[in-house]
Amino acid sequence: MLHIENLHVSIGGKPILAGINLDVKAGEVHAIMGPNGSGKSTLAQVMAGREGYTITAGSVRFLDQDLLALEPEQRARAGVFLAFQYPLEIPGVANVQLLRTALNSVRLQRGEHELDAMDFLDSVKDKLALLGMDESFLYRAVNEGFSGGEKKRNEILQMAVLEPRLAILDETDSGLDIDALKTVANGVNALKSPERAIILVTHYQRLLNYIVPDQVHVLAGGRIVRSGDASLALELEDRGYGWLIPEAQEETRP
Amino acid sequence: MTPSLYRQALAQTSGSPRLMTEREAALERFFTLGLPTTRDEDWKYTALDALERAEFHPPEYAAEEGVTESYPGAVLKFNNGRLTDPYSQTLHAHSLAARAETAVVVQHLGQFVSTLSGGTALAEINRALWLDGLLLHLPSGWKASSPLFVLHRASEADAMLHVRNLIVLEAGAEAVLVEHFRGAPDLTYWHNGVTEIVLGEGAQLTHLKLAEDSAAATHTGLTVVQQARDSRYLALSVNVGGRLTRHDTWVNLNQSGAECQLDGLFIADARRHIDQHLHVEHAAPHSTSRQTWRGIAAGRGRGIFDARVVVQPGAIKADALQSSRNLLLSPHAEIDVKPQLEIYADDVKCAHGATVGQLDVAQVFYLRSRGIAEDAARALLLRGFVGEALGLLANNELAGWLEPHLAAALPGASREPTT
Repeated sequence: MLHIENLHVSIGGKPILAGINLDVKAGEVHAIMGPNGSGKSTLAQVMAGREGYTITAGSVRFLDQDLLALEPEQRARAGVFLAFQYPLEIPGVANVQLLRTALNSVRLQRGEHELDAMDFLDSVKDKLALLGMDESFLYRAVNEGFSGGEKKRNEILQMAVLEPRLAILDETDSGLDIDALKTVANGVNALKSPERAIILVTHYQRLLNYIVPDQVHVLAGGRIVRSGDASLALELEDRGYGWLIPEAQEETRP
Repeated sequence: MTPSLYRQALAQTSGSPRLMTEREAALERFFTLGLPTTRDEDWKYTALDALERAEFHPPEYAAEEGVTESYPGAVLKFNNGRLTDPYSQTLHAHSLAARAETAVVVQHLGQFVSTLSGGTALAEINRALWLDGLLLHLPSGWKASSPLFVLHRASEADAMLHVRNLIVLEAGAEAVLVEHFRGAPDLTYWHNGVTEIVLGEGAQLTHLKLAEDSAAATHTGLTVVQQARDSRYLALSVNVGGRLTRHDTWVNLNQSGAECQLDGLFIADARRHIDQHLHVEHAAPHSTSRQTWRGIAAGRGRGIFDARVVVQPGAIKADALQSSRNLLLSPHAEIDVKPQLEIYADDVKCAHGATVGQLDVAQVFYLRSRGIAEDAARALLLRGFVGEALGLLANNELAGWLEPHLAAALPGASREPTT
């Protein structure tokens, strides 16, 4: 589904990603872990099409399309979803407005008819329940005055509504207490499907107790320095990242 | 506009000998004052040179033309400054001209404008030359059950429309008034309105203004509000039309517990110039004022928001809040914001905030990452931005009426109302 090959990315001339290779198949859950500054969030943002990053080499194929050639909204309509580490507050725009406008944009792309307000409400009710959110959330301004946990749940609600093929969750666990983490994880688990791939970007292993990955990759110095199964995350929990980083530095030497 | 043009216009007015004497005196006062110039601090950003050079004439009588807009409530239509249909008057809403000699009009008309310090030259012209306008007079305790709409429509080229309104709500009365200003497309005219509002003890007026004047129109205006104990004046001013707009709002919180909310928004696109001045006098203890304004300037548009709140000595426990946020959408647009608090009393709660910025690219990206096209994302953000000024319409049927007008006015937004 997703095929990243030799991806090099820099910001303002400074290299951040230095040759990422990654294959993600439908139905899989991948975790990308790594210390602060390793390029995890850059990778997530580049997948979603944020401006300000320069792709200096490499390619990204998503469902047989050149992902990097698409505008951010085209990527979303093609089925890519990024749950933001810091979801934006949008005063004056009701959550329901964002959700319905977004869903209808995606539906039109899929050749489906637009949902009117009533049909949309019907379709969103189960998804609210899944995340333990009541209907009043729909009428609040997007993320405005939301607690950290509410913002993260709201991201997963958007994911549930848009039903992406590939969901990238950027530090969705950060700033959550244990109850909020469980709620968010349950929501994500409910959205797992054989047609959908999920990439979890996280600093800590904690989230992976609740959403078990098929593969774990460690990003350091802009490259994937180690890949393994879920047990790799546990090893990192015990040993930290230090033991992997010198290895990365050695590899980047000419 | 030469003095002789004003004198010719005066000769075409009518009224009782008392009224005619008043008119003549007002015109003489205007000749003494002259039109304000940019040398006046209050008119620094708005030049009336074009008005000085123009030649406007009083409107001919014009019958109503095919105005198709429907309003969710009773409507009085003024075409070129005159009430078109006398049968549209209601129990409490009348043509001011027809009632110029009634006790309430004689008692109040012109009483408050004359108390203002400076900047009243345009009001003097209005006092000399007004033809008609709304008289809304609610007796004590009368609560109007549905909104009253007043349409001010211009359809005659080069006409000057000096519209005069008087609104008196006796103690405990409540009303919702919607004023809608429109002009035939690209028509040149000058609308110069004065509205005097008197709120008795515990009275409440909700006052929505939608200004959609033609792109060649000059719209000047003054609203003066006098508030008694525990009265509430809740105003929302939506300015999306005209070539040059200048409106002054003066609110006097004369007695304790009086409260005003002066909200509004302007969208100054193309070459539009919109200048809004607010002045609130806290003259009594426990008085409250709230101002939430949002402004957008695009193209070569220019917006000015100048708001002064004065807390007089003795107005203890006064509570004043000003918020003005503004967006510049083009490098050639300009917005000048001047919030001012003058506090001469102790134990008050006053705050103000004013910003001028640009659309947040991170917010645009966030929406695009949800599949929303860039144009639609910007439109959604702009609608959200102006929505912050629409708090008065929350849970109000008027929100639905206003929405398509707003959608049509937002820069780059769809010209179709959203469902």
